[in-house]
Amino acid sequence: MIPVYLPLDSWAHRVPAGFKLVILALSSVLLFQVVSVWVAAGAFLTVLLAYASLGRAGLEQLRLLKALKLFAAVLLIVNWYNGAVMDGVFAVLRLLTMVLAANFVSVTTRMDDMLAAIGPVFVPFRWIGLSERKPALGVTLVLRFVPCLLQVFGALREAYRARTGKSSSWRLIGPLGIQSLRMSDHVAEALAARGGAEGLARFTALAGATGRSERVSKRRNDGI
Amino acid sequence: MAFWPKKKTVRASSVCDPQASPYAVFEGVGLTVGRKRILEDLTLSLAEDRVGVIGLNGSGKSSFVRLLNGLRSPDTGSLSLFGAPSREAEPELPRHVGFVFQNPDHQAIFPTVEEEIAFGLTQLGADKAESRSRARAFLAEHGFEALAGAPIAELSEGQKQFVCILAVLVMEPRLLVLDEPMTSLDAFSMRRLRRKLLALPQKIVMISHDLDHFRGFDRVLWLEEGRLRMDGRPEEVLAAYQGDVDVRLAEDMEAAAI
Repeated sequence: MIPVYLPLDSWAHRVPAGFKLVILALSSVLLFQVVSVWVAAGAFLTVLLAYASLGRAGLEQLRLLKALKLFAAVLLIVNWYNGAVMDGVFAVLRLLTMVLAANFVSVTTRMDDMLAAIGPVFVPFRWIGLSERKPALGVTLVLRFVPCLLQVFGALREAYRARTGKSSSWRLIGPLGIQSLRMSDHVAEALAARGGAEGLARFTALAGATGRSERVSKRRNDGI
Repeated sequence: MAFWPKKKTVRASSVCDPQASPYAVFEGVGLTVGRKRILEDLTLSLAEDRVGVIGLNGSGKSSFVRLLNGLRSPDTGSLSLFGAPSREAEPELPRHVGFVFQNPDHQAIFPTVEEEIAFGLTQLGADKAESRSRARAFLAEHGFEALAGAPIAELSEGQKQFVCILAVLVMEPRLLVLDEPMTSLDAFSMRRLRRKLLALPQKIVMISHDLDHFRGFDRVLWLEEGRLRMDGRPEEVLAAYQGDVDVRLAEDMEAAAI
């Protein structure tokens, strides 16, 4: 699955990846502390404006909202059933704001920049003898593939509509799970085919363009 | 007591010899995936520059080529790759064997062309800045300079497939394995890709359903139900395969008539 990226030269593309990720993390924590529905609505509006500032391509990204319709409806219905409609509205606003904000960072940041920004967070792993590249790659892949999951859901809805005439159904949740697992299988295989999360650096120092005899003598020198 | 997983021993030494000939030696190799026996008793060795793999759907072609770069490991028999037993060679194989998937959407991990190419270089140990500049230079070398910043999702199928091949070639593998690389290409992209592939210095193992793609190949393997049905010069193997398909079709029509 190829992740989505908007090839623009906008203000959002120029903001450093690390800064965007910190803002995203902070705002998601803050959003859950907010008690006024108006503040939540304001946050939602701010995210919408951010997309609008990217121009037409940015606004097209708001199609994501369609895919989230079903989840929003479930949240509203459950809260309405419990007699707390306003809580439902609150939850929906938070959900939409956070998914849109994460997607905004994702489509305006190159994946290798994101990887470089996340890497230092896991440096302590190195102190205890583990690779920091693995968790950094994991986090980056999760952030990057959120919009892809929504794309998969969009494709499922289309297939469902083509055969039933209805736009969406809770029945699609199962296939969505299966499709996401298949997608992660493909990504894992593609990654493994090019050396996996650990990379091949440990072999290149010796292998590279050198011939066998040279390598054998090097190995001997290493005492192997 | 350890609170974190033990660190894997990092093997700094290389066990593979990229120049080994033959580069793959199969002796009674078998493979089971889940509960299904996919490959059975394969004995052959590969040294030729251009090897084709044919067979009907489900004959085990994809699993067979996946053995070559360690995406699958045999559970019976012995397989030696680049002069080393496959199990020992596995971690190192992606260094020597480039694998091109049937569907570019399943291969590309990164959103833009340049990042996808640069990833192979970071895998080999280059830092971000170096791999970016080398990726740009590599794209320019292949006439893809203008597409460096383009999102892969917006390319045509032919361009996507070519980017996937470049992403593998940039790692300078000795062997290039292609699993039906031309399935979704139009006639023009298909022929252009074929021409480019034939001109590569790498050794190639390629699966295809279009028998024309094996023109200029040295050897063709025909797999049937996980076994090697025929192995030899392309003209002989392809003719026999074509004859077999014709017989199957005639039988199928007869059965339908009854």
